Amino acid sequence: MEIKKPSGLANQFWPRFIKNNLIFVILIQIFISAIIGSALILTSALSINSLALWGIIGGLLVVSLTSNILVILSATKPTRDLMAVIVNLSGEKSDLKLPNPNTAKNDRTGFRDALQTIYELSSKKSQETPKGTENTTPQQSTVTDALDMTACGLIALDDKRKVIYNNKSAPVHVSNNGEKIIDLIFNGNNTLEAWLDTCEENSVHNEKVWIRIPDRLPNEEGRRFFDVIASYEKGSTVETVLNLVDRTSSYIVDEENLDFIAFAAHELRGPITVIRGYLDVLEDELTGVLKDDQPELFHRLVVSSNRLSGYIDNILNTSRYDRRHLKINLVEDKIDEIYDTISDDMKLRAGAQNRLLTVDFPPDLPSIAADRASIGEVLGNLIDNAIKYSNEGGSVSVSAKANGDFVDISVTDNGIGMPQSVVSQLFQKFYRSHRSRETVAGTGIGLYISKAIVESHGGTISVRSEDGRGSIFTISLPIYATVADKLKTGDNSNEGLISEGNGWIKNHSMYRS
Amino acid sequence: MSIKTILCIEDDRFIGEMYVRSFKKAGYDVDWVVDGNDGLIAARNKTYDVILLDIMLPERRGTDILDALRGGKEDLIPKTYVVVLTNFQQDDESRIAMQKHADAYLIKAEITPKKLVSIIEKLEDK
Repeated sequence: MEIKKPSGLANQFWPRFIKNNLIFVILIQIFISAIIGSALILTSALSINSLALWGIIGGLLVVSLTSNILVILSATKPTRDLMAVIVNLSGEKSDLKLPNPNTAKNDRTGFRDALQTIYELSSKKSQETPKGTENTTPQQSTVTDALDMTACGLIALDDKRKVIYNNKSAPVHVSNNGEKIIDLIFNGNNTLEAWLDTCEENSVHNEKVWIRIPDRLPNEEGRRFFDVIASYEKGSTVETVLNLVDRTSSYIVDEENLDFIAFAAHELRGPITVIRGYLDVLEDELTGVLKDDQPELFHRLVVSSNRLSGYIDNILNTSRYDRRHLKINLVEDKIDEIYDTISDDMKLRAGAQNRLLTVDFPPDLPSIAADRASIGEVLGNLIDNAIKYSNEGGSVSVSAKANGDFVDISVTDNGIGMPQSVVSQLFQKFYRSHRSRETVAGTGIGLYISKAIVESHGGTISVRSEDGRGSIFTISLPIYATVADKLKTGDNSNEGLISEGNGWIKNHSMYRS
Repeated sequence: MSIKTILCIEDDRFIGEMYVRSFKKAGYDVDWVVDGNDGLIAARNKTYDVILLDIMLPERRGTDILDALRGGKEDLIPKTYVVVLTNFQQDDESRIAMQKHADAYLIKAEITPKKLVSIIEKLEDK
């Protein structure tokens, strides 16, 4: 049975009440004794020094205090018993002893009937309230009916993170052992559980929004997409409330596009293989043959084909990531060595677009846990963006520094920058800033997949930007020594296995799928 | 072991020709077949030092060819290096199964002929 109450007050009532009354009685008795004493002195019946006076006052005090306290205890006993019963029924802990209704005295005085009535009322009420989500009052049932009619999902969780209420639209199923499970597939580490963990540690009240969260994997029937709004309130009976806005109709189009694009991307790789292959072959064979601006034009061909290849990788990886198939193979690696794998390509790209690219890695940086091809892809995306969103003749610099357990790698440009309102949406899939839609070509998934890759490494990606001044994108990757043990025992979430290099020749994508 | 002979099983004419041209220039003997059945027959009839194997092939998939050559009790081509070359995104299970029986597994779009030649040279050093 539920009784609405401020937490923990009912069981505090009785001790406080009886204490106050006893103090009151003692004070009154002292006061009365003092008055009687004064009267005796003033009427000169007794002198202030006489033993008789103090004998009378003391005797009076003891007798009246004792009798008054006995009267109070006896007179308030029914109240005490009632409180004990109420506190007990409300489910609170109490030091009060429960009364025995069946004593002869209770029977005689009729108190037994009073107690009986309370017990009966209580059991009647709990019968009317079957456990769980059913409702007792007409208002409540109207509310739940209304909630069941909406297309938006509503889920309430208690402090144990158990589902205590969900409406019909909410993506919740009941497991074999009768537990309600929320069907939401969050991206990477950005899960409800992780957020609740931080809430429990740091917050009294908190809110968070996730967008484009599916309830099933791709290719499963009836897949829905939600924007999820979570509210957390520590200590409340309903600690967490999830509002789910069904946005399937608007997101499914993108998803279908992406499926198609992923399919098309496979097909595109054939021609790209030939273009990149022959450009590579011809570069050697045409040395000395090309004249004037021809070598420059040839470079542009190479740069463009490399970029195209990078975009295709982005699309395929996004599709794999969304299918929860993106796997990262973490090994000990150096950031400068990772950069070396894309260095030529980046130099060419910057040169072809007339940007000054400076790369400065301190020689004593600790090694990181990384998947070389994936981090190469992330750096490529960030540098490519820096080139795209900066001006002709602008500079792009890549730097790194150790920062606690992480190595921070930053890509800085002094380009067009962006306002704060844009920054928060930057890492969403298909997000393209209003300005970039008009002026710069792109897929809108480069940063999305970069974030996914970095987070799969246990790292973070962040951005600082000033409108009109430029942006700094920073990725933080864990120092190898800090995660080596975890990787070796293999309980890393991304199945980070240490590659032993058992005769394998590794190239791009080989360890990712 | 010095690598001299290469069998290229590749159905895309442009890609096949490109590899053949580069390997011939680098001084290798290259045989090129375009479908899976011919590929398996060629691999059984002659001992090659290296087989470049595509996955999406007409008649018989690269996975089946590799399985026929190395999936049984006996390795039918113990002296040959197998390099799987594909642009097709396999699922994990099939990829890992292929990797078990191959000496390298590469994405074609990421590998230029020059790189491929240098990879074959590295195999030689093993």
